[in-house]
Amino acid sequence: MIHRRSLLTLVAATAALSAARPALAQATEKAAAFVKSTGDKIVSVVNGPGSPNSKRAAMTRIVDSYVDVDEIGRFCLGRYWRQATPEQKKQYLSLFREVLVTNITAKVGEYRGVSFTMGRTRMEDEDAVVSTIVNRPNNPPTNVEWIVSNPTSNPKIVDVKAEGTSLRLTQRQDYASYLQHNGNSIDALITAMRNQISQSQAG
Amino acid sequence: MRSVPPVRPPLGGTFRLLALSALVTVNVAACATRPPASDPDALADYEQTNDPLEPTNRVFYAINNGLDTVILKPAAEAYRWALPGGVRRGIHNMLSNLGTPPQLANDMLEGKPRRAGDTAMRFVINSTVGVLGIFDVATKWGYPNHDSDFGMTLASWGVPEGPFLFLPVLGPSDPRDAAGFGVNIALDPFTWIGGPGQIGWTAFNWTRYGLNAVDTRERVLDSLEQIKKTALDPYATFRSLYRQHRHAQIEEMRNDNRATVPVWFPAAAAQPSK
Repeated sequence: MIHRRSLLTLVAATAALSAARPALAQATEKAAAFVKSTGDKIVSVVNGPGSPNSKRAAMTRIVDSYVDVDEIGRFCLGRYWRQATPEQKKQYLSLFREVLVTNITAKVGEYRGVSFTMGRTRMEDEDAVVSTIVNRPNNPPTNVEWIVSNPTSNPKIVDVKAEGTSLRLTQRQDYASYLQHNGNSIDALITAMRNQISQSQAG
Repeated sequence: MRSVPPVRPPLGGTFRLLALSALVTVNVAACATRPPASDPDALADYEQTNDPLEPTNRVFYAINNGLDTVILKPAAEAYRWALPGGVRRGIHNMLSNLGTPPQLANDMLEGKPRRAGDTAMRFVINSTVGVLGIFDVATKWGYPNHDSDFGMTLASWGVPEGPFLFLPVLGPSDPRDAAGFGVNIALDPFTWIGGPGQIGWTAFNWTRYGLNAVDTRERVLDSLEQIKKTALDPYATFRSLYRQHRHAQIEEMRNDNRATVPVWFPAAAAQPSK
């Protein structure tokens, strides 16, 4: 009896494992394909012809379709997200999107001639981590990891790690420090973000 | 008539010095206030940030920033303006080649034979075929560069990083890296040659330190500018970036467990893994 039961458990476990393995492989494959196609789109905008304004518009479209801006925004506000009023959340997220797009497009000029090669993909909890190597003329190759959420159903980029430094974690710690030194006021943060955007548009 | 006295009264100077040292002492003694236990979120933030000397660190950050604006950054900009990219790359490669001995020592102390082998091969190839290190031939031949210093060695021995430090002149650090910086200098054979009377070697060493500083700064001109422009609190951003970067370097070193069997060895040549 005991033997049969443990045999059954074994069979069930094997079945579960073999069912899980293709799912895992599928998730990493889909995530890698997603990063490849998004990366190709970014590279073609960066290296392509067009004025800075049209490139900015194209980058904004890419960010809106392939990056989970709201999720990153929530992450970056950290524990202050729970304290924010619905109105503050709305203002913050719309400003956050502009800041993100501005920061990304500010670098477009520097990245002319960029190319990338795909590396390995692994799962980290629910997210897929896709490694790439980004090559820029006159720069050493950079390891860049793309964190993709919901790789099988609705893949979106939720973080980018360049040489091990996470975009969203750095941003979160920047905001956290700013909030701590400004009386934990979310309105102060919103004002600072607004100033930042108007400055970058003026300059 | 000039109103400025030709010689400053000695007493006034002393007082100023006293006032300055008192100010520095006050600043050095200043600590970030630990949030009360009744605010667990703030407390968790405080512990995660691990920067109990933040007020002092910020003073040194401001000082370094000022020094950078008037000295190092203009020097790096002039360096970029004066020399074409190819020449700068050659100088960078040469400096990096001169830094090989402490790198090799640390690879060994970290117990990473393959990394030590890479470093040794890089030194041999680049010093000869690469003409005194000007050309990085070794990377093309399959011996890429990697980071290795005594701070990383201490980490590999299990020494914790400790609280964040922002050091005068040296910049972001922690007790482990500050100690590592000193030992790394001691591990460098160039430190021990020269000395009093040997102007040539002393000049060589200081030229090397100076060039290293300018070269390093030049390479981050654009990214530092970008960070200062986009961060709401640049100090906190640099703190975060420094730590993440160090953790990544240490992780990469820890995970580099390539087998010591050479690639040309018949049996094991099948899977050169990294």
